[in-house]
Amino acid sequence: MSVFPALGPLLALTAGALVVILADAFFKRDKKDHLAYLSLTAILVTGWLAVRLWGRNAEAFGGMLRFDDAAVFLTVLLLVGTAFVILLGMRYIVRQGMNDGEFYGLLLLALAGLLIMVSSGNFVAIFLGLEVLSVSSYALAGLKRGDERSTEAAVKYFLIGSFAAAFIVMGLALLFGGAGTLELAEITPAGANSPLALAGLALVLGGFAFKLALVPFQMWQPDVYEGAPTPVTAFFVVGPKAAGFAVLLRLLLPYWQSGFKREAVFAVLWAVAAATMLVASLVALRQRNVKRMLAYSSIANAGTILIAVLTSDAAGLLFYLANYLFLSIGAFGVLAALGRDGVERTNLEDFAGLGARFPWIGGLFAVFLLGLAGFPPTGGFLAKFYVFSTAVREGHAVLVLIAVLSSLISVYYYLRVVVFMYMRKPEGEEAAVDFENPPLLLVLFLCLYGVFQLGLFPSNVLALVRHAAESLF
Amino acid sequence: MPILSLVTFLPLAGAVLLLFLPRENKGLLYGLALAFAVGVFLLSLPLHLGFDGGTSDPQFIERSNWLGLGIEYHVGVDGLSLYLVLLTTFLMPLALLASWSYIQDRLKEYLFFMLLLETGMIGVFVSLNLFLFYVFWEAALIPMYFLIGMWGGKRRVYATTKFVLFTMAGSLLMLVAMFVLYAAFFQETGTYSFALADLLSLTVAPKLQTWLFLAFALAFAIKVPMFPFHTWLPDAHVEAPTAGSVILAAVLLKMGAYGFLRFAFPLFPDAAAKFLPVLAVLAIIGIIYGGFMALVQKDVKSLVAYSSVSHMGLIMLALFAGNAAGVQGAVIQMVNHALSTGMLFLCVGILYERAHTRLIKDFGGVSRQMPVFAAFFLIAVLSSLGLPGLNGFVGEILCLYGAFAAHKLWAILAVTTVILAAGYLLWMFRRVMHGPISNEKIRGFRDLDGREIAVLIPIVILMLWIGIHPSTFLRKMDASVAQYVNRIKGREKVFVVKPPAARVAAEEGGGTK
Repeated sequence: MSVFPALGPLLALTAGALVVILADAFFKRDKKDHLAYLSLTAILVTGWLAVRLWGRNAEAFGGMLRFDDAAVFLTVLLLVGTAFVILLGMRYIVRQGMNDGEFYGLLLLALAGLLIMVSSGNFVAIFLGLEVLSVSSYALAGLKRGDERSTEAAVKYFLIGSFAAAFIVMGLALLFGGAGTLELAEITPAGANSPLALAGLALVLGGFAFKLALVPFQMWQPDVYEGAPTPVTAFFVVGPKAAGFAVLLRLLLPYWQSGFKREAVFAVLWAVAAATMLVASLVALRQRNVKRMLAYSSIANAGTILIAVLTSDAAGLLFYLANYLFLSIGAFGVLAALGRDGVERTNLEDFAGLGARFPWIGGLFAVFLLGLAGFPPTGGFLAKFYVFSTAVREGHAVLVLIAVLSSLISVYYYLRVVVFMYMRKPEGEEAAVDFENPPLLLVLFLCLYGVFQLGLFPSNVLALVRHAAESLF
Repeated sequence: MPILSLVTFLPLAGAVLLLFLPRENKGLLYGLALAFAVGVFLLSLPLHLGFDGGTSDPQFIERSNWLGLGIEYHVGVDGLSLYLVLLTTFLMPLALLASWSYIQDRLKEYLFFMLLLETGMIGVFVSLNLFLFYVFWEAALIPMYFLIGMWGGKRRVYATTKFVLFTMAGSLLMLVAMFVLYAAFFQETGTYSFALADLLSLTVAPKLQTWLFLAFALAFAIKVPMFPFHTWLPDAHVEAPTAGSVILAAVLLKMGAYGFLRFAFPLFPDAAAKFLPVLAVLAIIGIIYGGFMALVQKDVKSLVAYSSVSHMGLIMLALFAGNAAGVQGAVIQMVNHALSTGMLFLCVGILYERAHTRLIKDFGGVSRQMPVFAAFFLIAVLSSLGLPGLNGFVGEILCLYGAFAAHKLWAILAVTTVILAAGYLLWMFRRVMHGPISNEKIRGFRDLDGREIAVLIPIVILMLWIGIHPSTFLRKMDASVAQYVNRIKGREKVFVVKPPAARVAAEEGGGTK
């Protein structure tokens, strides 16, 4: 069988990324928009090639690359998310004086890494994808070269990221030694239960906990998310998290079956999920900067997603990720529009009176925040609903109670932004807002549409998600 | 015609339409919102006319699949919910009409949230699927959050945040309990369902029932609110704009009592029976405590707010009595309390618009300047304290009779509500309305204008109607109430008061004025 169907999306995307990077040299500074259009074209072609793989279970390189339906679904999700990020960034990078074209090329490369991660069942390939993603991400975080915090974010991300990568590589070596294979589907109970393989698993999980910023390895994330340029942060919140959890689910699915040492692994991750949700929510309460608050909220959400991993709820996980994409890109999109001329205005005070000055944008932001808080009829509610209801059915009511408590805390900090937007008068200089930004407005309205479509009429998406989830088992 | 869906979602359609109108044209915005609210009321009238009181089955049913796995769009009304729906559609146009002079700032958003709120509230009362119910229950919270937070008084942010957090704390626990129930139904039958009728057929193990009942009861007790979960209410009421207070007192609080009636008791009858003494004691504490707190309030609005705590206590006690008279009394008293407290808040709002203060000591002799207002205010006060001939009497007598039949001591303690209400309301009325004019500003007050009279007249008519001929409304409830009583008492073999007897008692009450 030819390798090309399964390789198609990756080839198209990587080729696109290289063309964008080369073309950068030929466009003048005021023509960099063309790079955005090129990148979007590459994403469209990739998406078309990926969608054609639906239901075909295409493979390449002896199973190193395997596009099952879950992989196709995640690929499309990541493509949509990245396209949104590109649209968010088009004006932002001009305004913030970082219009150098690398933004687009690096994003596409990072996306290629994500695609490898979600479409492989082999740990060598997964690690390859992770590194492609990581190296591009370090550069993306530091893209705003004049800004100290952006540079700090890049260095921090690089150090922690390399540290975590070392853990993962070491873990993989041990796992290979114990289990005798790096092909996830071939791991047997006997191999996985050997002390060597369990130690390896512990290291791999630790590495992923760093990458996904799960408590107690979450410290770096708010700094990176706050320092990175806002569209890049939006990408970090959506892309690496989605791919990371997909990998985690693939890795752990065998461990939830009988014959594997289930209890210990489960107990550790249970505690991590609970601690992640609670710690992140409590710390978020104290944030005065909305971007940083959203960084903590993404940690809390990671804790919730971990519940879906724990209960092998693949459908719930995919649906959650889809909802989370619209909600958080929408929220970060609004942040990207605040402030201009190299200065971001993301303190709570900068939001005072925003609802009166810009009713539509204020309203959109309120919808995204309420969605993140899990209010119906947004998709944010349904996403939590499915994850929690499966968890209760599987007998994890206590974990759900903790999750619900953390949701209650989160209601307070999300609503505080709403309070500033609608119930406070601005003090001092009003934050400059640049909303004459068609691509950004397009993204915001698409996100709004997504939030309500998934909240009110998600039947089609649910059917896709359930079908995709079955391909994992 | 899918009449229930129209009634539920027409306000939402109006709200969305408002978004696309220019905010400068206030007359157009206001007229459109009012037209939608009146239209919804007219559309809801066939619910009363076409309702068959002879059956306990839900009517005007609409049912279709929504998300699969037991999550359906399933609505209908029965004798327990019919009048709560009508109450909502009846009061909303009046609340909007009352807001005209008060709300000038950000009118578009105000009307948007009011209409959104109406959809949420009606949805809560018509849902027959737990999932759908929860969606509406939460969705109704957001508009009220904005109404208090954006148009409220000085401490509005504190009040509205407290309101949301209290309610959410209860309802999130209820959500978890719903998941457990859903899982239990799946284990028992192998199929998924959130339909209330399906879940009612489930026999939940006693220990589990206790937990689930506590989760549901907490959510509803916070909403009612029952002592000791009532602390959000005075804050929210005092800070809310007039129309917000009216809707809050008249409809939102009823969502809590309705929750007990529709979900907590029928789903978990054994656990409910176990906790009944505790709940009754809390209700009685609420009655007495609310009454005494109302006596010492300096602010008219917080006085009315505490009177709500007291009156809702009586409604809850009658519900807990669990006999036909009590349940029927509780339902009709929910309507009565909505009318009388709603009208009291409207009157306080009218005073506030003129004086920009609500402190009792700032008033005195207002009736000389505003005789027409004085008459309406007096009717509201008398209705609230249960004067025979007005609606409050019918409800209170049924509630007390029900409580007496269940437990003599309950009724004896609960009667204090009548005495206390007479005390704090009449004393307040005397200090505000009678005596010499204490404050020169009062001489500048103008009496009610046509719009304000138009707001109050329909409420007075309905008060008299219920007071004189309550069986128009009670007759439609009989079958549903009897079925409810059978369900929760079925396992205890307690003597069931027959519905007709209750009606006779009520009519006697109406006749002896």
